[in-house]
Amino acid sequence: MDIIVCVKRVPETSESDVKIDPSGVCIVQEGLVFNINEADNYALEEALLIKEKQGGTVTLVTMGAKASDDTLRMGLAKGADTAIRLDDPAFAGSDGIVTARILASAIKGLTFDLILTGCIASDDWASVVGPALAEMLGIPHATMVTKAELKDGSAQVSRELEGGLLEVLDMKLPAVLTIQTGINEPRYASIMGIAKASKKEIALKGLGDLGLEEDQVGKKGSKTTIEKLTLPVQEKMAELIPGAPEEAAEKLSGILKERGLV
Amino acid sequence: MAVEGAVLCKDLDLYNCIQCGKCTGGCPVSIRSSLNPRRLIYEALMGERFNPIERTEIWECTTCATCAERCPKNVRPYEVVLELRSNVIESGRVKPAVRDALESTFMHGNPWGRVREKRSEWMGDLKVTILKEGDKTDLLYFVCCTAAYDPRIQELAKSMVTVLDKTGVDFAVLGNAESCCANEMNELGEKGLFEMAQENNRELFDKYRFPSMMTTSPHCFHAFKNEYSDITFDIMHYTQFLSRMIEDDKLTFKGAIAKKVTYHDPCFLGKQNKIFDEPRHILQSIPGVEYLEMDRSRERSLCCEGGGGRMWMESESTEERLAEIRVKDAVAMGADVLATACPFCLLTLEDAVKTTGNEEKIQVRDIVELLVEVV
Repeated sequence: MDIIVCVKRVPETSESDVKIDPSGVCIVQEGLVFNINEADNYALEEALLIKEKQGGTVTLVTMGAKASDDTLRMGLAKGADTAIRLDDPAFAGSDGIVTARILASAIKGLTFDLILTGCIASDDWASVVGPALAEMLGIPHATMVTKAELKDGSAQVSRELEGGLLEVLDMKLPAVLTIQTGINEPRYASIMGIAKASKKEIALKGLGDLGLEEDQVGKKGSKTTIEKLTLPVQEKMAELIPGAPEEAAEKLSGILKERGLV
Repeated sequence: MAVEGAVLCKDLDLYNCIQCGKCTGGCPVSIRSSLNPRRLIYEALMGERFNPIERTEIWECTTCATCAERCPKNVRPYEVVLELRSNVIESGRVKPAVRDALESTFMHGNPWGRVREKRSEWMGDLKVTILKEGDKTDLLYFVCCTAAYDPRIQELAKSMVTVLDKTGVDFAVLGNAESCCANEMNELGEKGLFEMAQENNRELFDKYRFPSMMTTSPHCFHAFKNEYSDITFDIMHYTQFLSRMIEDDKLTFKGAIAKKVTYHDPCFLGKQNKIFDEPRHILQSIPGVEYLEMDRSRERSLCCEGGGGRMWMESESTEERLAEIRVKDAVAMGADVLATACPFCLLTLEDAVKTTGNEEKIQVRDIVELLVEVV
């Protein structure tokens, strides 16, 4: 089973105060810590588990600047076999469709049975790249995958729907699966492991290598542009529920049920 | 990935072992887990091959070093545990909480998943000098990740700064530049992360000029004193410094604590570094304190199970926790306060007070929290 995993380097912003750049269309990167996109980490782990069980190879692909090599090295340390970074000044300002186009142009020349990627990126929350990539490669896809059983040439996957429902699909391979978080428990990549992985070569491909034209990529090739980024208005609302513990608990559970939270 | 017993024997001088069993006999967690240092060495001596992932008992070890302390042949049995842990770390198959603590230390400079830019929030309204590059101070106060971020332990850092102000010493902190000493990462077996942290910290310390450093935590103290190489400054645990301040009359008392106080020796302060007298000197100097000595004190202190990376691991045992035994002993002695001098001991003992239902009977306090009330 030869698997390609598409990964993205994103900022860790769970607790950081995110500031909007003076340009108004991106965030200030200084002071932020970067890491592999969480859902991509689960996709990577899933690929490694499949490789351990069924043999084969895992190839990492990312579109990103030099710093993305860190993400690739971490993946190589965890057990991926090869890594490709796609980078070119012309790629700046690419939207999700263009990103998929760039990834597709790198991937179409490779042999693969399966492409895994995270279901969503924690910076833009778009969920575009996975399905777009599949369409451009002319292969089927399934999103929000929480379970994948792979056989020769086919797969049975479970997709997460609303309300805890699972949709089970039978698919032909090759296919793109976008992986939901929680599908597995990602392993740790040790510092020594990452240092050893630095010896593995990371292939670098630019615009020319991929056979793409300038007007197909970057801002020029994008169908969407970010007009403005704003922080949400911060409001405070707290409802204090009075009464004895039993009373308050009853009222609270009523509110939770009413709002569909339980 | 297997580990050959013969390699362990050679690397760790295990052939000195006479299988007397004092290690397992003294190991505090051996009474509530299947950790058996003597047997680990026996297997190595017999040339067996270890499969570390299957040896789940190695994660019970708190690296208290009682085994090394008691060994009549100067063998350090817990180093076998560390080697086996390293092997599991390199395979990547560690428990999620451990993984998260290690990744957080790498990314944010602390194991608690918090961001660096909030590392100084503990200061609140207190005026604390934060060193800038090239600055000089007489005493660098190394706060510790747990004191910087844990709401309970932030109280220790705040008390410490207040007490230091009273001594008149010229002191400062590193602010957000401070990064984890990585002692616990070393004890978890992540040697690469520890080396990296050590290198980064040495580079960081070189940016400032300070002859002495004082730590909140015995773990940070232990790392800098014993595990870091080429340290150019004098390193102390805060009890050493404040004990001296009391002796030199730089700290005087204007209040009293009329309570029965006993003291729990933290393993990394006591067993590992032989600092027993200074904490006692401080407590016994506080007016009003009736100091009670625990039966298991000094080298015999009962490990609280907070060290060796245990802050991020739940034991597999369902037997009574050592911290609970400790609290019950303190309560039985009639102590009002169980004092200690380590953030991990404080957190585990305080939890044990709650789980044993002794909240009305005893309080856990760090020595500096008692001091700040009366100086």
